Amino acid sequence: MSPTALALVQDLRLFLPEVILVLTTLLVIVLDVTPVRKSHRALLYLTFCGLLLSGIYLLRHYVDLRESGGRASSSNVLLFGNSIALDPFAVYFKGLFLLVGLLTGVLSIRYKKLNPAGEGEYCVLLLCSTLGLFLMVGSRTLLMAYLGLELVSIPSFVLAGFQRDSRLSNEAALKYTIYGAIASGIMLYGMSLLFGLAGSLDFAAIRHALEGQTELRASPLLLSVSMLMILAGFGYKIACVPFHMWCPDVYEGAPTPITAFLSVGPKAAGFGVILRFFYQSLSTHSGGGDWTPIVDQLQWPIVLSVLSVATMTVGNLAAVAQTSLKRLMAYSSIAHAGYLLMGVVVLSKDGIFAILFYLAVYVFMNFGAFLFVVFLHDLVGSEDIEGCRGLGWRAPFPCIAMAICLFSLTGLPPLGGFIGKFYLFLGVIGRELYWLAILGVLNSVVSLVYYARVVKAMFLENIPRGEAEPLPVPFFYSAAFAVLVAPILLLGVYWAPLVKLARYSSSIFGA
Amino acid sequence: MNTARFASALPWVPLLPLLGFLVNGLLGRRLPRTASAAVACAGPLLSCLLSFLAFLQLDSPHAFIECRLGDWITVGDLSIPFALRVDRLSAIMLLVVTGVGSLIHIYSIEYMGHDRGFARYFAYLNLFLSAMLLLVMAENLVLLFVGWEGVGLCSYLLIGFWFEDVEKARAGKKAFLVNRIGDFGFLLGLFLLFRTCGTLDIPSILHWLRLHELEGGLALTITLLLFVGATGKSAQIPLYVWLPDAMAGPTPVSALIHAATMVTAGVYMVARLSPLFFQSQATLFVIAVVGALTAVVAAFYALTQNDIKKVLAYSTISQLGYMFLGLGASAYAGAVFHLFTHAFFKALLFLGAGAVIHALDDEQDLRKMGGLGKKLGLTFAAMAVGSLALSGIPPFAGFASKDLILWSVLEAGLTRNPAWLLLWVIGLVTAFMTAFYSMRLVGMAFFGEYRGPEETWKKADDPKLAMGLPLVALIGGSFAAGIFGWPHLLLGHEEFVHYLEPVVAPAPLQGHGEHHLAEWLNLLLSVGAGFGGIALGYRLYVQSPLLPAALLQRSAHLRQAYELSFHKLYVDELYDRYVVQPLHIGAEWAWEMCDTLWIDGTCEGIARQVMDVGASLRRTQTGVVSIYAVSMLVGGIVMLGWAVVLTL
Repeated sequence: MSPTALALVQDLRLFLPEVILVLTTLLVIVLDVTPVRKSHRALLYLTFCGLLLSGIYLLRHYVDLRESGGRASSSNVLLFGNSIALDPFAVYFKGLFLLVGLLTGVLSIRYKKLNPAGEGEYCVLLLCSTLGLFLMVGSRTLLMAYLGLELVSIPSFVLAGFQRDSRLSNEAALKYTIYGAIASGIMLYGMSLLFGLAGSLDFAAIRHALEGQTELRASPLLLSVSMLMILAGFGYKIACVPFHMWCPDVYEGAPTPITAFLSVGPKAAGFGVILRFFYQSLSTHSGGGDWTPIVDQLQWPIVLSVLSVATMTVGNLAAVAQTSLKRLMAYSSIAHAGYLLMGVVVLSKDGIFAILFYLAVYVFMNFGAFLFVVFLHDLVGSEDIEGCRGLGWRAPFPCIAMAICLFSLTGLPPLGGFIGKFYLFLGVIGRELYWLAILGVLNSVVSLVYYARVVKAMFLENIPRGEAEPLPVPFFYSAAFAVLVAPILLLGVYWAPLVKLARYSSSIFGA
Repeated sequence: MNTARFASALPWVPLLPLLGFLVNGLLGRRLPRTASAAVACAGPLLSCLLSFLAFLQLDSPHAFIECRLGDWITVGDLSIPFALRVDRLSAIMLLVVTGVGSLIHIYSIEYMGHDRGFARYFAYLNLFLSAMLLLVMAENLVLLFVGWEGVGLCSYLLIGFWFEDVEKARAGKKAFLVNRIGDFGFLLGLFLLFRTCGTLDIPSILHWLRLHELEGGLALTITLLLFVGATGKSAQIPLYVWLPDAMAGPTPVSALIHAATMVTAGVYMVARLSPLFFQSQATLFVIAVVGALTAVVAAFYALTQNDIKKVLAYSTISQLGYMFLGLGASAYAGAVFHLFTHAFFKALLFLGAGAVIHALDDEQDLRKMGGLGKKLGLTFAAMAVGSLALSGIPPFAGFASKDLILWSVLEAGLTRNPAWLLLWVIGLVTAFMTAFYSMRLVGMAFFGEYRGPEETWKKADDPKLAMGLPLVALIGGSFAAGIFGWPHLLLGHEEFVHYLEPVVAPAPLQGHGEHHLAEWLNLLLSVGAGFGGIALGYRLYVQSPLLPAALLQRSAHLRQAYELSFHKLYVDELYDRYVVQPLHIGAEWAWEMCDTLWIDGTCEGIARQVMDVGASLRRTQTGVVSIYAVSMLVGGIVMLGWAVVLTL
């Protein structure tokens, strides 16, 4: 074998979690078309196995990284010609994505609108999208970031429109596609501009090129333009203002498990890419985990902090007026993109750590809330706040679980969401961005309004006559709620292990 | 010196009761009663066993067992680990809490046998014990505070256990609120301590104190604030008012709160931080004065109460006063010794009272008892032994510890400041009153003729095994617990005190031998006060039960004193008029003026604005794709323009 081929094979060994995802995808496709009689949801369970197996190999990577010293330089393994990084940061995110994939699968088990005929395709698309998420957070070049992003997006377009007989679902898919196309078009243009300025697509090389120029040859304006255009693509993924408009329509129309997937997976991956791109190519490490923009004229933190405030404000204010639970959660996820952006703009390892911490908690609380939507649709046949009325007395456990998720999303102690927000705000205050912290806290207050409205509907509003009898809750839901809510409660009182994990994972940005 | 061998077993001491809580709390309604009871009792018993094993490990004076489970909170300079630590002081506390606690659990099986909330009761009881164990074992003051609050919460739940009765629910609320006042002081003390020492780890604080001198005013403030917390938990003046009302809970709960857990928390905390308290002699004097006053005032109340549990409740407050008197006199080991002996005889008295109440169909009024000695042999024995121990009659448990505390106070009076002599006299008077009301209680309940309804008398019987066994065990304890600290004047060795001396602040005076005469005087007087009180009680309530009423008829002064005692110096009424009512008025005002007008007005105004903005934002979401694209474009252009401005 030639040295290049040998290196590729070597790299494949470090690419096993992804390889397993690919193999699972292929297996599902083959099984789907073979005329063997399959039991209900068999392919979904097969997908679970693939995700779990991938998780086992991911865990091995994690252990290897830890043993090899765990610090930034030694643990940075670069694959496939420096285009993909295998570092603690990537592993952390990949772990989250596997969790997201698994939870999406769990939500789909009892999702009525998913008919057995489409199950194979559904799993395949979900696996592909997960693979795309993996590539996104591992990317070390703009090209890989773009490829990963598209690999996430294209299956998501199909998944959003998976209910072909539903007008809303079709509309969602179409809007998502059109909007995605525009966003990636702008992003590609921005990337080509940056390539022209820096002469490379590699994050580190871009930084090197920009750093080397004492007198910036490239016009700072052009640099800003390219950066903003790239931001359009990433901003679309995390749904921040002004790239958020697709979000409510798509979230409402897509099948609920997919909505949950979209609200966490691509958002987290978007933040992973943003952190890598903005820190590794547009900033310099000024020591002690603090960073500064690479070029004085390129004040991207200010741009992002304004976007952050705009995003959370728009998300929270618009959420107040919603009646559909899914739309409400869509705006809530926009608002959360705003909160998380606060961690990006502080330019310190504390901010990155806070984002990582928050995302982990966010997975549980958001999936908990969407599980409730699935539950509501399954047993009551509604997806509106109206449908929750008086449900707290008919099905106490799911409603209490939902209330916990919502209060955690608000950031009330003693729940995991509070700790997450606490660390986010701590990072902001550490950088003395008091105005940002104050606006963030005010936004949290506003968010309580609409979250609490759901809780109020469940527990304080009168039950429609004749429906007061208790609702038999299938064991599946009780178990799933327990699994999702337990970490939220636990992380509210004992969060040190997650702190340790997130700190270690963010250590590539300075220990 | 750290004994590492046993460390890994340490977390199970609080965890086992916690598991019991989880099982009974989550599955309780589905479990049969026997299973519930077995789970509930297994936890404390195993904890007790573990505590005993831990106790055996501590062979050298400064030995301790430490277990760090990991970090809990790390923010900036503040680092709070989950760490447990057992040294000689906490080991003694563990034995008391788990030992007496287990007996009370077993007792409860029979006592609560027919209650609807059987599993709920045991769940709370287990949680209570678990919180108390956490409090005792915590290495960090924040973790201690978790236990501190946990105990407060459980007492609220248990006192208001029969919450259908509004009066009882209110008693629970009162306990909670009064405790909150104390906790507030405690928290402030913690904050100040953290600011001063930069840590809340108890060993680190004590280490810091060895290296630094605390400035006088600061030491006074910190210790006084912490002591405010102690007055809340341990029911001292002025925050004692919750404890008598706490009788609303089931009787075994009263035993648990009064004897083994909760009220001892304040005493334990002061002893735990004794080197800190030692820095401020002024605080120590305040503690002694508060303790002495509480002791005598509560004993005064107990003289005339007719509810059997009320008498015992005031006697608890009074005995806690003794403990604080001892703490104030720097006799930390003596105070903990009294805590130790008190746990036995007070648990015995409460469980005995429970047996009486159980036998008489929930009758608690002493006036409707009488002559029970003939019918309830075991119960009579329990109450008699408990009362003798409480009165400080040798050789029963209370004698040695009470004598030790009084001697420390007298010694302080002889060597330091004559003001302590006054406190000593108060202590003696209290001892006399204690013996008197104990005798009154036993006399009214067990001697003379039965004054209640006929059919109850017929049914009345001694308790069966589950209630009887703890009584017997506690009778043994109330007999023998004093042996561990038997005074040297009577050829004892005071092992208990020597055992604890290495872990608490040194007592300032080691006056053994110098004041031999005074020591004998103290011993004879305190025992004499006990016998005197019993003799007077016997004369008035056994020999001629009609005499008290006649005496009251004859003397107006006596009647006034009786009224004052019966109405508890009208303190509850005074609190109501001067604290609660003004607060109510203030709250009404704040509600109408501040809350309704300003806060609600502002909030609702803002909320309406938010709603309006939300509604208009909603209108921008038209669902038309081209508008979405345009908005993105506009947003992009605005950002771009801004970028241009920034770069210029």
